[in-house]
Amino acid sequence: MAATEAPGAAPAAVRRPRWLRRRSAADRRNARVGLAFTFPALLLVGAFALFPLGFGVYISLTNWPLVGPYHFIGLSNYSSLIHDSVFLQSILFTLKYTAIVTIPIFVVGYALAVFVRSNRRGTTVFRTLIFLPYIVGLVAESYMAVVELQPSSGTANFVLSKLGIVSDTTAWTVRTGLATTAICILVVWFASGLTMMLLMAGMQSIPTELYESARVDGASWWSAERRITMPLLRRSIALSLIISVVGSFLAFNQFFIITDGGPGTSTESVVMSIFQTAFADTDVGLASAMSVVLIIVVGLITFVQFHYLQGDVD
Amino acid sequence: MASVRSGHQPGARSSPASDPGTRRQAPGGRAGTAGRGGVGRRTSGGLGLYIMAGVLISAVFVVPLLWEMFRSLQPESTVSNPPSAATFGHLTFANYRTLLSGQDDIIRNVMNSLIVAVLTAALTAAVSTMAGYGFGLFRFRGSGLVFGLVLLAFMIPFQAVLTPLFLELHFMHLLNSLIGLALFYTTFNLPVGVYVMRNSFLQVPREIVDAARVDGASVTRTLLSVLRPLVLPGIATSALYAFLFSWTEFLGALSFMTNDSLFTLPVALSNVETGTYGAINYGLLLAGAVIAMIPCIVVYVALQRYYVRGLVSGALKG
Repeated sequence: MAATEAPGAAPAAVRRPRWLRRRSAADRRNARVGLAFTFPALLLVGAFALFPLGFGVYISLTNWPLVGPYHFIGLSNYSSLIHDSVFLQSILFTLKYTAIVTIPIFVVGYALAVFVRSNRRGTTVFRTLIFLPYIVGLVAESYMAVVELQPSSGTANFVLSKLGIVSDTTAWTVRTGLATTAICILVVWFASGLTMMLLMAGMQSIPTELYESARVDGASWWSAERRITMPLLRRSIALSLIISVVGSFLAFNQFFIITDGGPGTSTESVVMSIFQTAFADTDVGLASAMSVVLIIVVGLITFVQFHYLQGDVD
Repeated sequence: MASVRSGHQPGARSSPASDPGTRRQAPGGRAGTAGRGGVGRRTSGGLGLYIMAGVLISAVFVVPLLWEMFRSLQPESTVSNPPSAATFGHLTFANYRTLLSGQDDIIRNVMNSLIVAVLTAALTAAVSTMAGYGFGLFRFRGSGLVFGLVLLAFMIPFQAVLTPLFLELHFMHLLNSLIGLALFYTTFNLPVGVYVMRNSFLQVPREIVDAARVDGASVTRTLLSVLRPLVLPGIATSALYAFLFSWTEFLGALSFMTNDSLFTLPVALSNVETGTYGAINYGLLLAGAVIAMIPCIVVYVALQRYYVRGLVSGALKG
């Protein structure tokens, strides 16, 4: 049934069902019905996503405190951001963090996808197990990391000191470099399963005939991978990179839980910086200006990656 | 590449050429024949190596989680002190007993998390199904625009609208409200849900919709009685995504809930971590984290084909 329907799917979407075509009065009624069914979704998105977006831009032009009256102050929030060393540092730190984790997540995810894409015995189980850290979520895992990164009592130091890599009194969370290293390793472990699943889905949709003919032509495994898989996988690669880069840039949980931005504010991510400004300093106007900057940066990252990775497909 | 290449080396070496032949079509994939069943031709040594490598790789991802479950059964004194062989194997449910009966009132937080997650899943499923029906089977002026607006929420990171949303929820008396939190979670799960449900309705054969109409079924009746069983997998997918998102979400709950008794589990654990209720107790923290992780694993393992289905539809068409 589905197989015979599939080729006609695209035109069928244009060709309306008979009961939609009969009369224009019926047409109008059905249009109303269609709109009515989509209305709750539109209402929620309008109220809790689009409105706050516009409201945020408005607030960013004021000196809005969490409570009390406010005034318009034009672009002052934006000009003070340029001199806000904590915010600038958080942007730099987040960019650095994103740059560090993106490549390992992608490379590990790609290798895992190659490993689990066939239908050999056991692959389904392997896929499930490798994906579990992503499903469990970074919040629970960050709490576990807090316990295991403790000097002298944590498992990390116990194992690493037995291997002679660090001393068993290493205080991971109070030194910027060590804390960042630990969090990056945690995140690569957490996120590469998602990249694996996305790339695997793309790999499985490549027609097997291409590999058959490559094999007939005597192509090696690696050259088939490079000449067939990677070019045809561009969309999936773009998607997985965008998800992982945007996700890294919006990081909050792991930094808030494991280091609380410390030592000082050296491991404060952009979202943490916004959170602190809004709810600890109660400077909602400034926090909103930061949010607008964040949206622009994330939008630019998405656009550039999408453009670059999709641009020369054909 | 080199650092992880060893992972798939054994499988690749066993018979590199037949590897593509065994490649399976994606679960929701369209055309194409099934793999040729290369397993039969594979030497048992190759398969053994593959499984061994797979077990080793899987262990990297699963053993840390199992290890933390084990550690959560050690008493606080063992967790917070240098490891010693004498106390290592002494296991107890003490952490769980303290956590679930003590003044921390974690049961309440678990219930809050559960209420919000179930509410979010139900709302997302209902609203996405309605919207998918509207977008999939009705043509109306502006339908493309409305669909675009709903998907736009996917482009807006919720982290970036947190402060205006805080004020808005405050004005609507939805701060410190489990319903308010569920509405917020539902909104940011709608792009995925509506996308999945629209595709589900587009795949329903037209004849079925026409036949229902000829038999005199109303628009609502057609949805509830005739189409519901056909789009049930899509409904499961959107509900599952919403549930897992809600259960593991932290930043929104941290911002919009200021009353301890309304905290969800992840937020309540930050109080345990900082020792708000007295001395910092890492045994309790581990037990809490394990409680937070168990439902995810159970729900995912039981319903994973719906989860993968959503990923695949997003990855191939998105």
